[in-house]
Amino acid sequence: MEDIESKNGPSTLKMVLFITGALLILFLVYYLVMGLLSPSRKLAEINQEYGYKDSEKSKIDERFLNDSAFIAINREKSFYQARVNMAESDSICLALNLPDSTAFLEINGVTVHKIKLSEIKVSKVLRNADEYAITSMLSVPFIIEDDLSTIRKEPVMIKIAPKDTSEYKPDILPDTTRSEPVNYIIYLMGGIRLYIYQNTNDLEKGRFSVFTFDLNNKLRDVIGNLRSMVGFKVPEYHPYIRLRMQKSDARILYRALPKHGMISVFR
Amino acid sequence: METDRIIDNNLQNETEDDRSELVQVISGLWNKFISNPIHWKILRIVLVCTIVVFVTFFTFSWIVFIVPALQESGWNKNYKYENLAEIKKDQAYKKLIGQMGRDSKNLIRKFTSYTSGQSYLVINTIDNRFLLYQNKKLVREGSCSTGSYTRLTNSEGSRHWIFKTPKGRFLIQQKITSPLWVRPDWSFVEEGLPIPAPNDESRFEYGVLGDYAMSLGDGYLIHGTIYKRLLGMPVTHGCVRLNDEDLDAIYHTMNIGSKVYIF
Repeated sequence: MEDIESKNGPSTLKMVLFITGALLILFLVYYLVMGLLSPSRKLAEINQEYGYKDSEKSKIDERFLNDSAFIAINREKSFYQARVNMAESDSICLALNLPDSTAFLEINGVTVHKIKLSEIKVSKVLRNADEYAITSMLSVPFIIEDDLSTIRKEPVMIKIAPKDTSEYKPDILPDTTRSEPVNYIIYLMGGIRLYIYQNTNDLEKGRFSVFTFDLNNKLRDVIGNLRSMVGFKVPEYHPYIRLRMQKSDARILYRALPKHGMISVFR
Repeated sequence: METDRIIDNNLQNETEDDRSELVQVISGLWNKFISNPIHWKILRIVLVCTIVVFVTFFTFSWIVFIVPALQESGWNKNYKYENLAEIKKDQAYKKLIGQMGRDSKNLIRKFTSYTSGQSYLVINTIDNRFLLYQNKKLVREGSCSTGSYTRLTNSEGSRHWIFKTPKGRFLIQQKITSPLWVRPDWSFVEEGLPIPAPNDESRFEYGVLGDYAMSLGDGYLIHGTIYKRLLGMPVTHGCVRLNDEDLDAIYHTMNIGSKVYIF
């Protein structure tokens, strides 16, 4: 009896291990293929929506579209077009000038705060997509859809009034130590993401906070991807712009921008 | 020569003997170890656990780090900018570039016109700082106090106030000298005092707002303070507090209609 069990046991176990291994490899390959398809799909979407179409009113010789002078003027025009659009609103807006590594907080076209960006990383889809398509996309400001942050937008403190003067205590001074790490993601219309991180060169703690924040965000993405893949759909790819800046500037930017504020980008 | 060779051979044999002895010791220990069924079981468990941990770690890394990294690689198609001499001579090209250049300049002109040459004030509520501009140049900067972001609820829970400075663009609507503070209801509620009638004399206080005040509308003021040590901190009920010297400079630089940008 024992002999039969010992002969059947390992062979069944081997079979189970083999099937599990094969399924796991199949899943990993499926995840890779779907993952690699998603940027191309996003690129095609951008080109389809913003790319040059022959039906456009003012027809342009397609050779001009790759001309460096045309590209330079078109980029500048598109950036100022977006900034003028933002200036016509009453809200606080953000203008990103990536070649100059600067960001501007603007109200009605007036720069109220200038930020030096210490690091910039742009998604390859945004860098390598059709130039005309990307410039057309950037000629209209992006609208913020949502955000995910390590700090609160409005640090509201709740206070219950005393019933009478005997219960009254003067206000305790607010805590100004500001030790919390400042990292956040701004989700823009069109599936584009703006990642903003505090500089981490000074603090190990800050570096760890960036890692945990990033990991948390990546896990959210994985869950979204798996949901799409279960239905055999290509998961959504999110082109991104990653910026690093002083912690104080990152805090100012996050708290100043309204929930559905506008952002324009020059690259 | 011959003696040397013999010594070499002896040394080689000794080394080989040492090795075979070591192998024998190890294989002996190993055989002893696995001959015990408990040891063998422990070894199998350790092996299986190591494999499971490795596979889990690899799967996790694959989906969280490797695939996203691969998504960003392999895009080697750098956009190719051209500078064809033949199209530079093309009339259509010249016309297009000329038109685009004019459009771009017009947009830049329009955009720069938003920044007034007149004096304006910028208030940073996050760092509690102010910047005063005149003729597009920074002429003064310093600390101020803005809203504390406190949400006050009366003891019955029926009324709420939130003390934050509004953000956006505002105009100076009124300039007041020796302002009088008319204490609003929340001022009594937060001290646990009964709310007096609207014109009760306990509502009127002189001297607490400094020498000047500038109204931004909706009851929000830029004014002085007697709590100077709190400047630079978010402690107010929504107004902007300044020290006497800064208030004096701003009051005499800004006019009715001057812009105040608060972020």
